Amino acid sequence: MRPEKVDRLATVIILTLTGLVGLVLFALLVYLLLSGIPHISWHFLTSSAESFRSGGGIRDQLFNSLYLVVLTLIVSIPLALCAAIYLSEYAPDNRWTNLLRLAIEVLSSLPSVVVGLFGYLVFVLQWGLDFSLLAGALALTILNLPILTRACEDALRQVPYLQRQAGLGLGMSKWRVTTKIVLPAALPGIITGAILSAGRIFGEAAALIYTAGQSSPAISYTDWNPFSPTSFLNPLRPAETLAVHIWKVNSEGLVPDARAVSNGSVAVLILTILIFNLLARYIGYLIKRRLAKRG
Amino acid sequence: MENSVALEVKNLQVLYGDKHVVHDVSMKFPANKITAMIGASGSGKSTLLRSLNRMNDDLATVKGEINFHDLNINQPKVNVYRIRQQIGMVFQQPTPFPLSIYENVIYGLRLAGVKDRQILDQRVEESLRQAALWEEVKDHLKESALALSGGQQQRLCIARTLAVQPEIILMDEPTSALDPVSTSQIEDTLVQLKEKFTIIMVTHNMQQASRSADWTAFMHQGKLIEFNQTADIFMNPQQQQTADYLSGKFG
Repeated sequence: MRPEKVDRLATVIILTLTGLVGLVLFALLVYLLLSGIPHISWHFLTSSAESFRSGGGIRDQLFNSLYLVVLTLIVSIPLALCAAIYLSEYAPDNRWTNLLRLAIEVLSSLPSVVVGLFGYLVFVLQWGLDFSLLAGALALTILNLPILTRACEDALRQVPYLQRQAGLGLGMSKWRVTTKIVLPAALPGIITGAILSAGRIFGEAAALIYTAGQSSPAISYTDWNPFSPTSFLNPLRPAETLAVHIWKVNSEGLVPDARAVSNGSVAVLILTILIFNLLARYIGYLIKRRLAKRG
Repeated sequence: MENSVALEVKNLQVLYGDKHVVHDVSMKFPANKITAMIGASGSGKSTLLRSLNRMNDDLATVKGEINFHDLNINQPKVNVYRIRQQIGMVFQQPTPFPLSIYENVIYGLRLAGVKDRQILDQRVEESLRQAALWEEVKDHLKESALALSGGQQQRLCIARTLAVQPEIILMDEPTSALDPVSTSQIEDTLVQLKEKFTIIMVTHNMQQASRSADWTAFMHQGKLIEFNQTADIFMNPQQQQTADYLSGKFG
């Protein structure tokens, strides 16, 4: 065949396959949203779940999911960032750091059920945290760390080598170069990575079933004391998240409108993750613009 | 020969792992002159240059003496950050930080803890004038340095190095990423700078060496082959290898 013909054929094949992938994903998304959005109402978002009657909402589950994401990021961002700084700025290229990288890669492909059961054994039973937001946050941290570390490391590595050299050449110490030059330049990438990872842990269910628990005891949104057992901020209370709720409603839900609740929850979940992703882009863009303009 | 010496290296050797890149180089860099280091790629000239303010600390093993004001600065106990403020460096490619022009220039001063606005303002103007950039940027000092052209960025980086008032400026192929107009602007700048500073420059561009350098050192395969006044090196090389290199037989 002539080169032009091969070229045209290859382009057609690539476009067809790409279109197919896009179509499947898009169809799935549209289907989920179309079947869920009609069930979303102010009442659905602001009332608590029912156990037996229909008409329950997802207020607590939605809040729990968001709160759990915040707690997880509070634990995992400092850890991931420090690990990433070590790996990208300080780590020598030797067997030990290769082992470390391998461990991170293996950790990133760990099935979340395994992480959940590990969390159940260690955090819930061994450490005596019981089913709690904190145990859930720690389990999610295990899931999140490898991805976030990788994202931070990539962001740091993208800062040109010469920028570091320029800092050193001005008499800065390595630590100052890292904190004053490399870190600010990598910030958009780090924040984007953190928000994207937030989207991922927002949808996690399997790791939470045995750590954050499947029950949602009555909580008060006016009790701001995080040590009070009924406070919405208490990290030691059990908390069913949105994703766990979807799983539970589908597997053992007794409410007559289980299907509607499930569909609505799925739509809320997807929309929230969509917001996370858009937010990540927007914030990354804002910081980039601010950095370029800073005076 | 020369009345004052800015920097002297004695028996300098540089090794990457067990690869010997610079062999036993001894030379004296004259003060307030431009010294050009020429030689083919891999001749060790950049490595030698980067060793002079210890930028190779993490990458290579540097043996021998580097004497700066009667002090051998190639010792672990010497404060390397202080040394780099006195022996500054400009790189192949412009390396502005993503900050305003003003903030770029005073970066090293801020680092040294200078806060007095008057001193900062004054040093910004002085450094930018010395780098021959003042007239072009004086009305937009608050704007991003990233908006400048490549040649302007490189002169900004020179100004940033000048602002901490070093004695010696090392330049690693400072114009290799620039167009001919920017290159000649930088070369003009260098000639003016040598009144106050000592400049040691690595260059691949032999016209550049012959145009702007007072002294030229020719390196080949990690050895210093010949070091002399630029006119002598180019018109009357003493070594066959130098003559071959200059006439384009290799490199």
